[in-house]
Amino acid sequence: MTSIGTGYDLSNSVFSPDGRNFQVEYAAKAVENGGTAIGIRCKDGVVLAVEKTITSKLLKPGANNRIATVDRHVGIVTAGLVPDGRHFVSRARDEASSWRSVYKSPIPISALSNRLGSYVQAYTLYSSVRPFGVTAIVGGWDSEAELAVDGQVGSGPRSGSGGKVDGAQTGGPGLYMIEPSGLYWGYYGAATGKGRQAAKAELEKLDLSSGNLNLVDAVKEAARIIYVAHEDSKDKEFELEMSWISTLEGPTKGRHEAVPQQLLQEAERAAKRALEGDDEEEEEAKANEGEQMEE
Amino acid sequence: MSLMGQQPHSEAIGYSFPQSTNAPIKEHSFYPYTDNGGSTLGITGADFAILAGDTRSVAGYNINSRYAPKVFKIGGDDETGDGAHIILSVVGFAADGQALKERLDAVVKMYKYQHGKPMSVRACAQRLSTILYQKRFFPYYVHAILAGLDEEGKGALYSYDPVGSYEREQCRAAGSAASLIMPFLDNQVNFKNQYIPGSGEGHALESKKPEPLPRETVEQIVRDAFTSAVERHIEVGDGLQLMVITEKGIEEIYTPLKKD
Amino acid sequence: MNHYPEVWGRPRDDVYGSYNPSYLQTSGPKTHTQSPAVTGTSVIAVKFNGGVAIAADNLASYGSLARFTDVKRLRIFGDSAVVGFGGDVSDMQYIDRLLESIDIRENYSAHGNTLNAKNLHTYLSKVFYKRRSEFNPLWNHILVAGFDENKNPFLSSADLLGTTYSAPHLATGFGAHLAIPILRRLFPEETPIEKISKEEAEAALRECLKVLWYRDARSLDQYSVAVITSDGIEVKENQQIEAQSWAFAESIKGYGAQVN
Repeated sequence: MTSIGTGYDLSNSVFSPDGRNFQVEYAAKAVENGGTAIGIRCKDGVVLAVEKTITSKLLKPGANNRIATVDRHVGIVTAGLVPDGRHFVSRARDEASSWRSVYKSPIPISALSNRLGSYVQAYTLYSSVRPFGVTAIVGGWDSEAELAVDGQVGSGPRSGSGGKVDGAQTGGPGLYMIEPSGLYWGYYGAATGKGRQAAKAELEKLDLSSGNLNLVDAVKEAARIIYVAHEDSKDKEFELEMSWISTLEGPTKGRHEAVPQQLLQEAERAAKRALEGDDEEEEEAKANEGEQMEE
Repeated sequence: MSLMGQQPHSEAIGYSFPQSTNAPIKEHSFYPYTDNGGSTLGITGADFAILAGDTRSVAGYNINSRYAPKVFKIGGDDETGDGAHIILSVVGFAADGQALKERLDAVVKMYKYQHGKPMSVRACAQRLSTILYQKRFFPYYVHAILAGLDEEGKGALYSYDPVGSYEREQCRAAGSAASLIMPFLDNQVNFKNQYIPGSGEGHALESKKPEPLPRETVEQIVRDAFTSAVERHIEVGDGLQLMVITEKGIEEIYTPLKKD
Repeated sequence: MNHYPEVWGRPRDDVYGSYNPSYLQTSGPKTHTQSPAVTGTSVIAVKFNGGVAIAADNLASYGSLARFTDVKRLRIFGDSAVVGFGGDVSDMQYIDRLLESIDIRENYSAHGNTLNAKNLHTYLSKVFYKRRSEFNPLWNHILVAGFDENKNPFLSSADLLGTTYSAPHLATGFGAHLAIPILRRLFPEETPIEKISKEEAEAALRECLKVLWYRDARSLDQYSVAVITSDGIEVKENQQIEAQSWAFAESIKGYGAQVN
């Protein structure tokens, strides 16, 4: 670590001579130790998944959720320091509800991500605070239907001025990843945490930008990727937690919900099967290599 | 512009800038009270106290509901009221009555949690007075009656005006039919205008001495009072809710009244 | 043009007379709603075997003007409660947003929204009571329909004063005068609600709305009905009052210019 002993890493809001903020980089290191979290964006929805490492056998299975609902149509999963993640989610909820109180409509995913990005960035500016030790993946669905204003009572003019415009296309899936620096981008597939490298490699194989993957398959892929990413860093036991947001016609009707138990278990079984298949192949390959060596 | 600058800058110009107005102060037309009618009544005996109330709730000439209780257990379990040893009746503005009941209930519970013993009826009575008086300038528009057993196990009954003036009494009627029931109670419970036959002539005639009545008699007086009030007062009727507090606990009895 | 930017763009005093600044009150007492503006009329509801049916027409009036004719006054909360609003429409929208924010907050947890209709009614009645105590009332009379914690049908009312009451059938506004007598005749209060079928209840509400349409000048023949059962909420909006008969109108004499 080039930073150690230089003094440039002791305070937030201080650049090193080569233009780095070491506190932010250390925060990123905290994220790298967290359980893998991923998000997949497809045409008909968004899936969030997280590898929840079991830190104690005394913890109740299925409890202590890591994916949070922020508004009806938004979910957030974080990797890194769990308490920082909780505070981050709390801020996201405040932003979503304040948006509603001002605009009387749900917050667009892009706007929420923008505000959260600004919030996180502010924690890199002052010596009195430290940056967030989390990278957050924000997933949601902006309603494709023309939404009523919250509390709206009528349906507006049926025709003429102020009437409805036919065939207007709005809404859709949204997936953003916000890093400790405040940097955020929109993604087709996002991964963070310990197994992010393996996860990213798997996500790239999915060719998400082509829009061929559907939501249910994305759930299965997400489960598999978490298992693959875990395999890489093989350590403690873990629990898979997943949530999704679909179109208004889809299974969650535009809401952010936990993936139903049945589908979750099915996805986990498929993930384990795929992994075992891989292992066999690898072992075969190793065996072959060994034979070749002997020769 | 011929008019430009012709007008001298008078105080009339000000428009959107702060300035005092002579606008008359608007009259408040919102009245925060209503009368939900009904009547309540309490009588004590040597080792019991009874609180009763009809169950009709009215708004003007409308009957809102035929079953809206006015007598409550105070300081008991949340839903059932089990374990309570104090009862309260409220009549007048039902929303204030509900709020008052909930506040007193909370106070009695807190007392028990903090002191590790149930609140005495006497202490509760004083506390209720304080609660009412705290809202002296925006009162709970209710006539409250509190009942329980005192330190000696005798029936205790406290009646209140809306701003907390209170008194321990043998019996009390409150609510819309109070003026009908109270004279009946004076005569039947406190034996007013009852004399011992042959005890004398004119002023020498000796009054009948009041003494605690047995429970059966009191219950009958309560029923009679209400059946009579129902006949003469349009806001009273539908059902009679009776709560009897004794050493054994609180007994609640419901009997129908005329629904006309 | 003169030196006083605050008068630029305003009607000229020399032409229009000086502006009455009492419309621009910047000081003086803080005022709250003293009367409702855009209002909805009756809400009616009845319990039946296994649920509750509730209905309200689609009109929002501005005084005697039929201002909005597609207003949905039945609001759904969670998956088993409906609130029917009478009174001020803007206050209804405020409460609707309040309920929306509660529903969102409830759904932060994995178990979802566990508040039942009874909880909702308790909450809303306290909101009303608080606001009336601040002399800043929410000008509504509401009915809350759904289930209680024991999964029994629940129906209760709350108004701008915080007054609450419950009965097997309830109506607000004009409905209290016109619909309640019909409902009480169809479903006498002593008959258990288990004897009332869903179809009977819904038909009764439609009949009541028809009577209200004939006799309440601030009503509409388009309405919404919600039926709440353990299977969920079935809402039918944009319903039309069928089989109207105005034959009786011919026999009405003695109004207006017509003398005989």
